[in-house]
Amino acid sequence: MADKEYNPKIVGFLCNWCSYAGADLAGSSKLKMPPAISSIRVMCSSRVDPVLIVTAFLRGADGVLVAGCHPGDCHYEKGNYYARRRFALLRKVMETLDLEPERFRLSWISASEGPRFKEVVTEFTEHIKGLGPNPVKEKTSL
Amino acid sequence: MEATNQSKDVLVVGAGIAGIEASLLLAQAGRKVYLVEKSPSIGGNVIKFEEVFTNLECSTCMIAPKQQETLQAERIELLTLSQVVRVEGGLGDFKVTVKRNARWVDLEACIGCGACFDPCPVSLKNEFEEGLGERKAIYIPCAGALPNVPAIDREHCLRFTGEDKTCQACQEACVFEAIDFDQQDEELEIKVGAIVVATGYDLFDPRRSPQYGYGKVGGVYTAFEFERLFASNGPTGGEILLPNGNPPKSVAIIHCVGRKERGYCSAVCCMYALKFVHYLKSKLPTVEVAQLYTDFCIPGKSAQRFSEKVKGMGGDLIRAEVVEVAKENGNLRVKYNLPSGKAGSLEVDMVILAPAIEPRADAADLAKVFNIAQDDAGFFAEEHPEFSSVATPREGIFIVGCAQGPKNIQGSVAQSEAAVGRIISLLP
Amino acid sequence: MEEKIGVYVCECGPNIAEKVDIERVLAAVSSIEGVAVAERYKLLCSEEGKKFLKENIEKHGLTHLVVAACSPKQHELTFMNVCEEAGLNPYLFQLANIREQCAWIIEDKDEATEKAIRYVRAAISRVRYHIPLEKKEIEANPDVLVIGAGVAGIEASLLLASRARKVYLVERESSIGGKVKGFAQLFPRMESASALLEPKIKQVVENKNIELMTESEVEQLLGFFGNFVVTVRKKGGEERELNVGAVVVATGLQEFDVSGLPQYGYGKVDNVYTAGEFERMNSPDGPTQGKVLLKDGRAPRSVAIIHCVGRQEKGYCSRVCCLYSLKLAQYLKSKIPEVQVCQFYSDLCLPGKPYQRFYEETKGKGVDFIRAEKVEISEGEGGVAVNYSSESGRLEVRNFDMVILATAMEPAHGSAKLAEILNIGRGVEGFFIEEHEKLGPVSTSLEGIYIAGCAQGPKGISESIVQAEAAAGKILASLVPGRKLEPEVKVSEISEAFCIGCKTCISVCAYNAITFDELRRISVVNEVLCRGCGNCAAACPSGAARHRHFTFRQIYHELMETLR
Repeated sequence: MADKEYNPKIVGFLCNWCSYAGADLAGSSKLKMPPAISSIRVMCSSRVDPVLIVTAFLRGADGVLVAGCHPGDCHYEKGNYYARRRFALLRKVMETLDLEPERFRLSWISASEGPRFKEVVTEFTEHIKGLGPNPVKEKTSL
Repeated sequence: MEATNQSKDVLVVGAGIAGIEASLLLAQAGRKVYLVEKSPSIGGNVIKFEEVFTNLECSTCMIAPKQQETLQAERIELLTLSQVVRVEGGLGDFKVTVKRNARWVDLEACIGCGACFDPCPVSLKNEFEEGLGERKAIYIPCAGALPNVPAIDREHCLRFTGEDKTCQACQEACVFEAIDFDQQDEELEIKVGAIVVATGYDLFDPRRSPQYGYGKVGGVYTAFEFERLFASNGPTGGEILLPNGNPPKSVAIIHCVGRKERGYCSAVCCMYALKFVHYLKSKLPTVEVAQLYTDFCIPGKSAQRFSEKVKGMGGDLIRAEVVEVAKENGNLRVKYNLPSGKAGSLEVDMVILAPAIEPRADAADLAKVFNIAQDDAGFFAEEHPEFSSVATPREGIFIVGCAQGPKNIQGSVAQSEAAVGRIISLLP
Repeated sequence: MEEKIGVYVCECGPNIAEKVDIERVLAAVSSIEGVAVAERYKLLCSEEGKKFLKENIEKHGLTHLVVAACSPKQHELTFMNVCEEAGLNPYLFQLANIREQCAWIIEDKDEATEKAIRYVRAAISRVRYHIPLEKKEIEANPDVLVIGAGVAGIEASLLLASRARKVYLVERESSIGGKVKGFAQLFPRMESASALLEPKIKQVVENKNIELMTESEVEQLLGFFGNFVVTVRKKGGEERELNVGAVVVATGLQEFDVSGLPQYGYGKVDNVYTAGEFERMNSPDGPTQGKVLLKDGRAPRSVAIIHCVGRQEKGYCSRVCCLYSLKLAQYLKSKIPEVQVCQFYSDLCLPGKPYQRFYEETKGKGVDFIRAEKVEISEGEGGVAVNYSSESGRLEVRNFDMVILATAMEPAHGSAKLAEILNIGRGVEGFFIEEHEKLGPVSTSLEGIYIAGCAQGPKGISESIVQAEAAAGKILASLVPGRKLEPEVKVSEISEAFCIGCKTCISVCAYNAITFDELRRISVVNEVLCRGCGNCAAACPSGAARHRHFTFRQIYHELMETLR
């Protein structure tokens, strides 16, 4: 494995109505992007429990992306605002775990923003590659 | 006592946001709906927009779930590339003839992979992109269009217009055998109890007012063109660019284009002009924007809040009547008269026109088909402007959205729901 | 029962087959515990593909199904229907999106294949924890309560009432007809208001399926869509409990109180009237029997109509003031042909197809229009002085016999209290908030409560009646007599055992779908109201709130597999 390029593990929680649809549009437009991200569909970004994200980091995720509708566009009125507030706190928790808060990202991607999905995924993947492996994973792996 | 042959099914004509809303609500009520759409895809004009006022939400996010639901609803039979050609009978017992044009792509077999586009040798201006982008003779209007199945443009496909009429490039590229040149145009007979006409609107063609320079000098855009220039699934991927490939440094937005000619205020132009200021300022923070207007018409509870927000982003408001847009030193000079009678002008590199909403070009033909009247402006005439604006004097035929008159999305959706209320109440 | 998971990878013609090494995917998942069968198929969404899937589910006695194909937006429903036909609960299915998220976006085939393997493994891992969900049916009452008997409430009641549906029309005043009853004529056709309204009032009174309750107000609302219990109190005491399935709020408007704005001289300077007062003066059944008179009994020779009174204070354009100001000018011109009428306005707002012509007609009758700012009214020489800043910025004064103030519209008094009783929101402008500005103009965030007319926002008769019809349309489509409600199944639930009664879930729910059971000290989800966003599940500190089909366990196992 040593000779292979470092391939980060990135998880993306995508809200069903905006960001998952934006990812679909990127797909049907055949926009190419790096493969590191694995997407998990949720109905709303407000469904993403910060515990899930901390768990993801503790179990080896190098980066976590949560993508939802733009502020004001939430399919459920204001779920994305709740998400934003919860993750503000999450970043502080990450610091105490010696995790770079930038390993977590919250992005707003609408259903028409296929190119933006590609940009976010590409840029985030590059960024995580630059950060290297998740330090907590190294500490906890036996 | 209701007659036994009375139909409770409904025909909805036009699959823009008004037609979609009416269809979904009728289907929810348990009615069978025939949704007839002239173009190959559904969503109408709203899918051209990136954002919609007043909360600037993403238009696709708003309407895509509704489009999906329409395609999946068991009770909605969608007939694309179709037009109503004859209507007989009356409330509870309409006999409707629909002409369905061949798509030549099988809706069931096609999976929407788009492998047929590249091999097609014919490139054309894409009308969905207002000519700012290209498409092939086999095409979908834009990425994300629904149903995600291409149609073949008979006006330009070499199979129909070529010298030897043998081209089968798309057919060869399609492994799903979805291209079927044996499809024929057909006429379908439909029996319904009521009809909702939701055929939407066109924009006033600014070429009819030559002073704006549209079509003569570069850098002058209509509202639809500018929407596509800003759209992330549009021809520039959402970058606001001039014909020379650079972003504009200064923009003039001209209100009320065609208002005098049309004889009414279109009710939404001031609001979308404000939205355009927001588009411009959010993407190009240093761009200078001037709006040239006569009266600011922003009715309703949340419009002023939106207006204040946009005004806070900067930009000039000039109350003036525009007399000419002309090319000058490679830029555009907008000449105007102030209310005092004094002349003024400003130099910009982009002009956006806010043209009036007007009836569809084929509104007169449709009025004949449905045997309903048009008003002086050419919109379909309602039974009573205040007390019965979604009904027509022909019982059982309803008009909603901009087919009835210029209005915003909220008003269009409310009229659709209103027509459904009237129909279920008449045909319980 | 032994787990038998079937995994089917769709080739989607060349779309997946050429970009993903399907054999490698199958090899990587076929030996996973519980996977009974892993196969490929050329096009699973085709008729043959669906038949193949159905036969496979039956043949292998599959307990769970994983399909690796396109986006769930494309064919999740298709495959769920196949499950249902094959007798498998459709929620024991998971779709791995290896087309839009692997085949179509990753250049390198190895990389696409590896990602597809991750997705399929994750789907297998998730589907094991799926729980079969069943549709429920809930009895619903088709009857409707309409609050407010102005034009909107009347219209809604008439459309809704039928042999199968009773309507309770509650009106706080002693008579019905609302504001329009006070108008002599309506714009833009200057038709008689009573000729249009009286037949409707008569229909309401005569309709056996409409129970009119005047001098009554709503005191309490309990329950939920399809099953509301409403308490209505009649002036003087008598209380009644009504069972209804839905509510239409059509409580209308009131005039902005201009006495708080001293610059308009209202109440201090003689012959300054609000538009509402002038309507009454002009009305044949009004205090002057329809004669337009000054305080001293003379007819006015000149009248100023001041637009946008209260606009700045309210923060919105009331939409109809320009139009009714034109109507008032026409009243004046038809009663006193030689009267001079002058409109002081800032922007003329005439949206919609018939109104420009109405403006031109009015102007053609000799009405003047002056664009003015900073209008102030004071005692003038032999009349009322209108002081204003003209378009060129000059301060000017003109004297008139009479001044009419075109005041803004605001929600009817008592709206705040009613919003509390009904548990619906009000915007910063004070009007009830619709569920969605564009797609849900007459719905509210509380399912089953609809808003129509000026209670929702300032508007004219035309739009008010459209909204009333729209509210009726929403109700007629969803509360069909004899039909039960089928709530969404992928909603939240709260475990009685784990709930600590902290009410966090209640505070985050946008739909008032969670209530607190005081007896058991726990939160309870109403499945009819819950829309299934899952916010409560993320917010719940004790893990009591569960988002069905998106439970922590399901997402956790999907997540863990993607991180392996």
